[in-house]
Amino acid sequence: MQPTSELGGPALRARTFGSMGTVISLTVPAGAVPGAAGGEAKLDAATAAVERVFAGLDETFSLYRPDSEASRLARGELCLRDSSAGMRDRYADALTWQLRTEGAFSPERPDGVLDLSGLIKGYAIGQAGEALRSRGIADWCLNAGGDVLVTGSPVPGSGASWAAGVVDPLDRSALLAAYELGGPGTRCALATSGSAERGDHIWTAGLGARTAGSSGAEFVQVSVAAANIVTADVLATAIVAGGTAMLHRATDGWEIDVLAVRRGGELLATPGFRA
Amino acid sequence: MRTRAAVSAALASAGILIAGWQSGLHVADTGSSVASAAAGSTGSSGSSGTSGSAGASGSSGSSSPSSAGGTTGASAKAVGTYAGSVVQTRFGSVQVQITVQAGKITDVTALQLTDAERKSVQISNRAAPLLRTEVLAAQSADVQTISGATVTSDAYLNSLQAALDAANL
Repeated sequence: MQPTSELGGPALRARTFGSMGTVISLTVPAGAVPGAAGGEAKLDAATAAVERVFAGLDETFSLYRPDSEASRLARGELCLRDSSAGMRDRYADALTWQLRTEGAFSPERPDGVLDLSGLIKGYAIGQAGEALRSRGIADWCLNAGGDVLVTGSPVPGSGASWAAGVVDPLDRSALLAAYELGGPGTRCALATSGSAERGDHIWTAGLGARTAGSSGAEFVQVSVAAANIVTADVLATAIVAGGTAMLHRATDGWEIDVLAVRRGGELLATPGFRA
Repeated sequence: MRTRAAVSAALASAGILIAGWQSGLHVADTGSSVASAAAGSTGSSGSSGTSGSAGASGSSGSSSPSSAGGTTGASAKAVGTYAGSVVQTRFGSVQVQITVQAGKITDVTALQLTDAERKSVQISNRAAPLLRTEVLAAQSADVQTISGATVTSDAYLNSLQAALDAANL
């Protein structure tokens, strides 16, 4: 692939690292990191700060790490009352979202194990964003396994939005749609949930052990744009789990744009996704 | 006895008129225009002086089958057309008007719907069916980032986001 700068797009610099079972990408305008070594070092330092946020949360909340606090909770070796403040705060967040989505979003797996991974990646993205802001970086795009948070512009000072593409779930090498993130708009977060991907912790509400991936889910993919990444992420998950009814509750109750793809490939979208 | 019934009915009628007048005042308080005053149509209940139900309270109106005409509803005070106050929503100002008959809302009409930013009158942000040709189209070369269902580290290697990242490393 050619560098995007030769294609006429804004010149960007990117760094990636692995965490939470996926890959996180930090992209900044090349202008923000001048060719000198100092600029690259600044980007490396910013990436390290983001990585620390993800690593710290993954250490506590990952169910794939047998020694994590979440795993000890799942095995019953630790009870919630004795867990860390961070664990209890995120659990409280998850319960709040469960109430707000009338159960479509749930912090518990059908087998009863507490699983906050539906919330923690979005939370990590938001915390990493705070770390970038506190370092005085004004323009950046953070992408964690397909969930995106941006600030500023790909062309510093221009006020231009970041252009985000949404993957076509029926052909993952193609884009289904574009969405203007940030810039003059207030929606700077875009999250997409699917019912077909491994690693998406979604189960259809009220249907016991039946997972959304195996059958039943109305939507194969739901993208939500919102002012913050946790809202976008949780609502995308909730709509996949809760179907059309949850979709309408979400668009009625939150300032969001939604692009939902039905099993047959048909689209449902709010006006924000319309060309 | 007949006199007492008549007096009782008259008192009941007066009570209804006052209630109607108060409800009219209440509507006026909301700063809206009332199309028809509520009190005007309450006469029917009070005029049926032959009612045997001397003990009827003012709020229940007449139980006489030979009502003098007009509405025979139980709550005569709730007859008419009422305009609600102008409510500010996140989409702009909205005002509705209701028509009440026999104590029930029989019609709701919008006196004012938002036309924020001179766009179409849209008071919801509901998702609607859309053709693929109607969404904002995009080529991967036109975007700076890609949103999709969570990819695993392995799947990332073959993803569009990986291609974008590689171009900017």
